[in-house]
Amino acid sequence: MSSKIAKPIMHSAAWRISLWATLAFACGTMLVFVFLHRFVADDIQRRSDAWLSGEVEVLGDVAERTPKDALYGRVVGEVAELAGKEVPNKALSDSSENDSVFFLQTGKDGSLQLWVGAGNGEANLTAIRASRMLPDQPMDLHVSGFPTPFRVASIRMDDGSRIYLGLSERDELRVLRSLRLRFFLLWLLIVMLGFGIVFFTTRRMLSHVRRITEAAAGIGHSDLNSRVPTTQRNDEVAHLALTLNRMLDRIESSVHQLHTITDSLAHDLRSPLTAIRGKLEMSLSAATHGEQAEPIVSAIEELDRLTDFLNKSLDVAEAKADALRLNRSEVDLDELLRIMIDLYEPSMSEKGLQIGLQSGGPLRIEADAALIHRMIANLFDNELKHLPSACTVTIRLRVEDGAASLILEDDGPGFDAEVCLHLFEHRVKGKESNGHGLGLAFVDAVARAHGGAVRAGNRESGGAQIAVTLPVVSQGHAGSPAAVMHGAH
Amino acid sequence: MRLLLVEDEIEIQSFLRSSLAEAGYQVEAAGDGKTAERLAIDGQFDILIVDLGLPDQDGITLILRLRQLGVRAPVLILSARRSVDDRVRGLEQGGDDYLTKPFALAELLARLRNLLKRNSPPGNEATRLRVLDLELDLLRREATRSGQVLQLTPQEFILLEYLCRNAGRVVTRSMILDQVWGMRIQPDTNVVDVHIYRLRGKVDGKGQQPLIRTLRGVGYVLKDR
Repeated sequence: MSSKIAKPIMHSAAWRISLWATLAFACGTMLVFVFLHRFVADDIQRRSDAWLSGEVEVLGDVAERTPKDALYGRVVGEVAELAGKEVPNKALSDSSENDSVFFLQTGKDGSLQLWVGAGNGEANLTAIRASRMLPDQPMDLHVSGFPTPFRVASIRMDDGSRIYLGLSERDELRVLRSLRLRFFLLWLLIVMLGFGIVFFTTRRMLSHVRRITEAAAGIGHSDLNSRVPTTQRNDEVAHLALTLNRMLDRIESSVHQLHTITDSLAHDLRSPLTAIRGKLEMSLSAATHGEQAEPIVSAIEELDRLTDFLNKSLDVAEAKADALRLNRSEVDLDELLRIMIDLYEPSMSEKGLQIGLQSGGPLRIEADAALIHRMIANLFDNELKHLPSACTVTIRLRVEDGAASLILEDDGPGFDAEVCLHLFEHRVKGKESNGHGLGLAFVDAVARAHGGAVRAGNRESGGAQIAVTLPVVSQGHAGSPAAVMHGAH
Repeated sequence: MRLLLVEDEIEIQSFLRSSLAEAGYQVEAAGDGKTAERLAIDGQFDILIVDLGLPDQDGITLILRLRQLGVRAPVLILSARRSVDDRVRGLEQGGDDYLTKPFALAELLARLRNLLKRNSPPGNEATRLRVLDLELDLLRREATRSGQVLQLTPQEFILLEYLCRNAGRVVTRSMILDQVWGMRIQPDTNVVDVHIYRLRGKVDGKGQQPLIRTLRGVGYVLKDR
């Protein structure tokens, strides 16, 4: 019953928990960043808009006060160029020309009057004409030939001309891009770290649960003394372990109580049985005539049958409650079967039955020898009682998946269809059976007490088949594969 | 042979007392642990029968106590439990024996004899057994009846040897299963009987005095007279 513990890590609960936790964490931080990014972008734009509005006003002021003579172009141009040098968020441009700022003045008719900036300004003018500029409010302007748009503020002069000041958004976008890149790297790092932390914590916690599972799997099947491991911490897992242990305490005390009851029942019945048997034997030795002896003899025989029934009933009852007490020692099933066959062979051949053993040699298991003896005697008794003459019983013994497999087959009529479904239940027997219907229930009980199992049914080719599996090594001493190797050949 | 019987059930005590006396033992009986202790120290007993379920203490505790007090005699334990616990097993290994209730009187007597034999100094182990005109050569594993060699299988020889060793005394089926096949089982079929019939067919030939007798409800006996 060893649970499959060595499964791939992707299927573990720790993996799933950390995956979901990381996903939630990553989404959350991403959302926070999106808001932060918007806030930062808005703020940068607000600052550059404020600068643009201020500058364009200054430039308008200068342009107004400067007389419209031959020097006008130079004066305004210089002022505009100076303004362009104090652009916010400015990065060093690779070209010597200042292409991040332009100054443009149009005449009353909208023609280009003055241009300060990279290129000749025609493209910018065309773009300005194409868009509808609102006065006193900076806006985006896409100029052909420039990959990034310009932010443009304008002011209208008293003489009807207009001054435009444009600032490339290139630097702003660069700041935001570097912000995004940095955030992304940091985010990736934190998410990975978070995943790792969550995974290892949950795995550590769940390893306690796994240890509890392993320990709990080993408990039961007549071993109720051990307890699951507990931890010092006061968390859910520790509570689970404590609760399991308390449950085991209760089960153990119930089983103990059952033992006490069966023991006292056994004692209360056995004492009078002993006294009766003794008295019968004494009167039998006193009886001289055969007529006197006959009823005494049959009374003794009845009494022995009653005792046998009592023994088996108690065993089956205890085994059903997983409370059969085992005294384990090494039992060689091969040798035992040979002795049993030697014991039963004369009775069988007397009845016209044949019996054969197919075995791969010594097969040692850890088991309660007395119970195994009685179990096999029960199986043989069954065959002897129920098979019609001229049948053959075949016993096959081998190791299968670390368990001894004992298969008993015959070519008789098989089990009755109605009995077949309830073979292992208490008191089920065939119509012609004169037993007390405990045979297979007892076999099942013994196999289960040893952590094994019994299957019974009819073969397709006719006849009954009973398959008993018994673990080679008892669960309490698991982990010595030598015993398995021993029994292999 | 002085025997101390420690058993609290009056009925069992009384029939055991008379049957043991009939078998030639001088029996003293005790109904509880305290009395048993007192009797065991005063009297020199050759063997003890102790029931595990005593009113005042556990039978095993009593046995261990008696051992501490220097009582060396072997003990036959009577137990009402059919599954024998580890402590009884321990005592069994220490040279004592156990019997589960209910038991056949013949088996009780056989086990007492075995215990006494085990504890007596080993004499010269006989290599030949002789019962009337039946003779067993234990070294050559050969049996003869009136000089005629019997064709026995090894298992049949062991069975006959066991009967010879207990000649004149009743052996039960469970004693035969225990001693000859080495298992304490109670088959509800006639497996032992068939072995005996076969053996009888070989040992008791035509015109010869039948040696192996069946005592119905009890067991078998090999006649020695």
